[in-house]
Amino acid sequence: MNAMFEPFVDVVPSFFGTLAQGPLTLTIFLHTVIILPMFWIYKQEKARLEQEGN
Amino acid sequence: MAKKSVWSDNRFWQRTAAWITGFASVLLIWLTFDTSAQISMGTDADIQSGVTKRVPGPTVINYKIAYEFNKKRQHEIPVIGGMNAEGTSAFQEKEKFFGRDDWSEAEASEMLRLGKLGSQSKNCMNCHTLLGNGAYYAPDLTKAWLDPAWGPTGSMQAMTGKSTKEEAMAEFLQHPSQYPTHSRMMPNLGITAEEAKGLVAFLKHMSSIDTNGFPRNFGKIQGAVNGK
Repeated sequence: MNAMFEPFVDVVPSFFGTLAQGPLTLTIFLHTVIILPMFWIYKQEKARLEQEGN
Repeated sequence: MAKKSVWSDNRFWQRTAAWITGFASVLLIWLTFDTSAQISMGTDADIQSGVTKRVPGPTVINYKIAYEFNKKRQHEIPVIGGMNAEGTSAFQEKEKFFGRDDWSEAEASEMLRLGKLGSQSKNCMNCHTLLGNGAYYAPDLTKAWLDPAWGPTGSMQAMTGKSTKEEAMAEFLQHPSQYPTHSRMMPNLGITAEEAKGLVAFLKHMSSIDTNGFPRNFGKIQGAVNGK
């Protein structure tokens, strides 16, 4: 049976092993750490620009 | 004056670029150390105490090595010294290598070192592939030790007139042009008996390395499954 989440099967448990458990694991991780902070930076910069009156 | 967009603001892109570059650097440095820990060679003590390492210690040449399909990992894994209940290496069953199964760590290391240097000086990778590096003009050598052609039922022992896998391999390496195995015949590289021994040890050790199932589908090569 194909479960949505498979048990960890790498030789040695490692953080990088968790990123290589399926086709989406690395993608989801990188989007989380790159795109989400970009929203935060965007909001900060927007607030700054508004404050400067542009 | 039109309202300035964040998307055309320099500072937004500078901060984004700085974040991605900084984060990626940390990740890659961490990955480097994580990888070097995982690919560092084990020791004889690891084998004695049944610790599975991705790259086992040099004394693995004293053990029987098989390549079995692992259901959990969905590919073949090296099984050293027989299989335990979990389907991984039991480190029990020994196998004679050039007549001995008690090569010490120092002796085995010395042989592997000779084999590694030999493989480099004879430029095996010019035609063969070792652990993903090299060419595909000649057969992939990563799991060559497990190739059934060299086993008791294979053709190579009869062809070279030897009764063990390691002796057949060593004989072939010393006089490859005498044994027509392939339309692309291996040239005579002037490998000495001692070098051949080292090279065979090197190949046996390499076959025990857990390569996450690389080369893919090796086990599906005719007869290669379960080392038959």
